[in-house]
Amino acid sequence: MSDPLLSVRDLRKSFGEEEVLRGIDFEMERRDVQVLMGPSGSGKSTLLRCVNRLSEPDDGTITLDGEDTAAMDENDLRRQVGMVFQGFNLFAHLTARKNVSLGLRRVRGFSKSETEERAEEELERVGLADQADSYPAELSGGQQQRVGIARALAMDPKLLLFDEPTSALDPELIGEVLSVMGELADDGMTMLVVTHEMGFAREAATDLLFLDDGTILERGPPTQLFESPEHERTATFLRRLTDLEAGQHG
Amino acid sequence: MIPAIPFVPSTPFVSLVPLGALADWGFVLGNADYLVGGLAITIALTVASILLGFAAGFPAGLIEVYGGHYSEAFVASLGVFFRGTPIVVIIIVMFFVVGISPAFLAATFALGLRSAAYQSQIFRGAIESVSGGQMEAARAVGLSRLQAIRHVIVPQALRRSIPGFQNEFTIVLKDTSIAFAIGLAELLTRSYDLFVQRTTAVLEIVLFISLLYFLLTFSTNRVLDALRERFVIPGGEG
Repeated sequence: MSDPLLSVRDLRKSFGEEEVLRGIDFEMERRDVQVLMGPSGSGKSTLLRCVNRLSEPDDGTITLDGEDTAAMDENDLRRQVGMVFQGFNLFAHLTARKNVSLGLRRVRGFSKSETEERAEEELERVGLADQADSYPAELSGGQQQRVGIARALAMDPKLLLFDEPTSALDPELIGEVLSVMGELADDGMTMLVVTHEMGFAREAATDLLFLDDGTILERGPPTQLFESPEHERTATFLRRLTDLEAGQHG
Repeated sequence: MIPAIPFVPSTPFVSLVPLGALADWGFVLGNADYLVGGLAITIALTVASILLGFAAGFPAGLIEVYGGHYSEAFVASLGVFFRGTPIVVIIIVMFFVVGISPAFLAATFALGLRSAAYQSQIFRGAIESVSGGQMEAARAVGLSRLQAIRHVIVPQALRRSIPGFQNEFTIVLKDTSIAFAIGLAELLTRSYDLFVQRTTAVLEIVLFISLLYFLLTFSTNRVLDALRERFVIPGGEG
């Protein structure tokens, strides 16, 4: 047995007086897809941001592939842990191709031709090879998010973080992003995903973590949490999600 | 048959200005090369001041946003000082107190540093208008803070600063006339030289140099418009 890819131990983080994360523990094996759900303000985004140190944890340890992330160079850590944002955050002045290329050139030190080739491949992987020369504002939200995924993939990350990747999308554009994410999961990418898309959780997640008030209240395979949650809190939240989803799609 | 009207040489603007104006216009045009020489100095002074203003103002804007506590406070107070002091005072201090010479250099420092103080605010505003998500996404890919600023923030901020920069350019160009106070032979000083020789031609001379100032501001603004359009981000953002 090898070590887990990601291990989070007693992670704590406060903003001012408010303790947002109050001792988070979990592990991820390679090829795991873990989905984080929970009410807003429960600390899901903060948890993700602590993993790539966009927020510095106050306490606890996070190890990636056996290495203590707190001791790593933050740029090196982020090269290995990709992130996809709710608001896409594509570089507005760069084409899709250049959005993917920037990190290849400046972080990984690829040559011009290597960069060109790799950027092309990644855009193809998310089905956007024909939009390589479009600027973000010329793309739909779904397309922008797929470029965001390609940009993260180009760094060959060991782990990909998704922070509500479809929450800013019109309902009809969610599917294309989820299907790209599903393919990544099938390809064996290790993914930590904050989302309220139950369908994705059911189909792709190896584990579902239910976060409430800064702690992991409950965890397990998605079917177990959806069908027989231990806590009333989990049950209520998931029931509400199910109702919402039924309303949306029905 | 309509009788042929005899051709009477008349220039429409003559009737608008006082008697003897025709001769005064002759005086202006006779000295046009002297004024155009002043115009050349005006242009040189504008360019030198804008460049100095950019060279100092752009980093100052960056420091005001990204700098540490002390560097930010230092730059900000310099800015307050230069923005809060009349340009005539700055120019006189540079020349007579600090003793920078020749006058062209003193004027360049005065106009350039004052412009830097204003340009820093143009850039600061432009940098701050680039959303925080841009920096975050750049850092998340593994770019260092400096790389993120250079490759992601600055290219967008520069585009957004062009309209403010247009204003600043126009202001500096017109304020070069304040070098009059230290006798630098730019356009206004030279026109003064002329109208003290011929006091009836004040209006003509002032109209003439106003036209020159206007042509300069108008054309440079069109050039900056073209620059902005050249670099506009397709799709309408930024």
